[in-house]
Amino acid sequence: MLEIIKHGLETTVQELPGRIGYWEQGFPPSGPADAWSFRLANLLAGNPRDTAALEWQFIGPTLRFHRDGVIALTGAETAARLDDKSVPMWQTIPVRAGQVLACSPAKTGARGYVAISGGLATANVLGSRATFHMAGLGGLGAGALKAGQQVPLGESGATHKLMRVVDSARPPIAPAASAGTIDNRIAAMLGPNDTWLDDDSIMMFFDSEWTVSTQSNRTGLRMSGPQFTFSAQAYAKPAEHGSEPSNILDHGYPVGGISIAGQTPIIFIHDSPSAGGFFVPFTVPRFDLWRLGQARPHEKLRFRRTSMAQANEGRRRLDKLCSLQSLIEIDTVDA
Amino acid sequence: MHHSEPRFSPAGDSFIEVELGNEMSFDLNVKVQALARAIREARIDGVMELVPELASMLVSYDPDRISYDDVVMEIQRIFGQQSGEGVLDMPSRLFTVPLYYFDPWTEECVADYRKTYPAKVADPELLCEANGLADRGALQRMHSGTEYWVAALGFWPGLCSLMPLDPRNRLSAPKYNPPRGWTPKGTIGVGGGLTSMYPDRTPGGYQIFARTPMPIWDKDQRLTAFNDSLALFRPGDRVRFTPIGREEYYFIEAKVNDGTYQHPMIDYQVFSVARYRDWLSDLDKE
Repeated sequence: MLEIIKHGLETTVQELPGRIGYWEQGFPPSGPADAWSFRLANLLAGNPRDTAALEWQFIGPTLRFHRDGVIALTGAETAARLDDKSVPMWQTIPVRAGQVLACSPAKTGARGYVAISGGLATANVLGSRATFHMAGLGGLGAGALKAGQQVPLGESGATHKLMRVVDSARPPIAPAASAGTIDNRIAAMLGPNDTWLDDDSIMMFFDSEWTVSTQSNRTGLRMSGPQFTFSAQAYAKPAEHGSEPSNILDHGYPVGGISIAGQTPIIFIHDSPSAGGFFVPFTVPRFDLWRLGQARPHEKLRFRRTSMAQANEGRRRLDKLCSLQSLIEIDTVDA
Repeated sequence: MHHSEPRFSPAGDSFIEVELGNEMSFDLNVKVQALARAIREARIDGVMELVPELASMLVSYDPDRISYDDVVMEIQRIFGQQSGEGVLDMPSRLFTVPLYYFDPWTEECVADYRKTYPAKVADPELLCEANGLADRGALQRMHSGTEYWVAALGFWPGLCSLMPLDPRNRLSAPKYNPPRGWTPKGTIGVGGGLTSMYPDRTPGGYQIFARTPMPIWDKDQRLTAFNDSLALFRPGDRVRFTPIGREEYYFIEAKVNDGTYQHPMIDYQVFSVARYRDWLSDLDKE
């Protein structure tokens, strides 16, 4: 068992690939918002990379372990302590039964991961342990975990290698000040509804800085920035599309889709609604979704135009980074 | 407008939007549902999920197993094999949904919104005005006087988009602007030309005027209707609304709470699209 002493801010059980097959009925895929960090945490803890682990947001949890094993911390930067000793991130950490791990609030990034050897063995709901908190699906039956709860663990091997993630294989979670610089631009592809914007607005989108709003969560990121102008298609449409230029007849929403609600861009992430009535001119491809999961309110984001070929290449490169090849064995844990 | 061929647009590297037209109509929605069914039956390796909507569908695929171009080609092939008429008969379950029109909870919700936005006309009166109806009684008769078609699900687990099958009972209304922060669970509203049922307490934008005690999704699967699925409706089901009063509302609510409620549903009917179209053209002649 893993005991939740403090639950932090919306700490959830997540798993990959998420809840697949029920989107038609409105159940989102869920799963970790930063799958890159999530997978590395599992590999460090000796698990298959898609095993159920904890995701926390902004404020990390305090946990007590009730059996010996190993854990790993990845994702948003936190100053974590195991009992009285500070422990490093991106490394395998041995823990003994009775020890307490306390995570500090995130210094950079938005979401942190705690993987534990054997993984979390909560009940499957519709084929997945991933949590959809807003509807109370997953976890221990009510979405996010609560202080005092005991989370069941899966079977774990008796011995564990101590490993570290090589620096080049870690997601470059930027300090807020450097977000939005050339290296940190978020990939975005045109489509499905880019023809609803005029050409100037498409250029404007990629040339502008966008500020993440505080009204952002695991369903989506709201952003503020310059105003959009629309093509004739946004005006010359049947009345049932709705009265705003940004309204379109209800259609399915892709994960990573950037919709325009009036003048507010909303990027859909892992717990997003499956459908709605705003058009979606751009979509963030899979390999850069982790950047959305690590974006903090007030942070400035910029986007770079990306082709299908670049998206495919980026996804394959990331897939290779999420493997044991990114880990090196170490002798001792050093903080 | 119906497109002669499906239009495909990439939505990132693992989704495709397939658009069959740009209007809200029964005929177009039936085409979307028929294509979705045919794609499912074809079991294309690498095609993961479909979100069929009013006039389009979103297809998700695993780009490490199948390319964008191959998904498009497969769907074009399947579309080409479908007959021009589309489906003529389809199994369609019929649900009877008890509705307490002008109930105190939606009234309270509207009043709460109007504290912040006093210029907002109360929803039932706005619906009457927008549709040329004399009063709330006329609104209730209009809304409950037709069968509805479950055109799509989505936005929230179990939330359904319902189209009136009788064109004489079409209601339409603009959506809230800005949206409402909360809506009681089980609320019924009209937005655009659709009726929707709120499965849970969620934000919303439809004009609201009634509430049902009958759950349309249940994550804990307590009632028998949820044995096979957490969401009640499937695209292609039909819904009828039966007006109830406060006493009946509480009676049903108690049965839901003690776990004995049976959803009123019949599943032995086939919906004939061909005969429905004949009926529509007879109506036109009248």
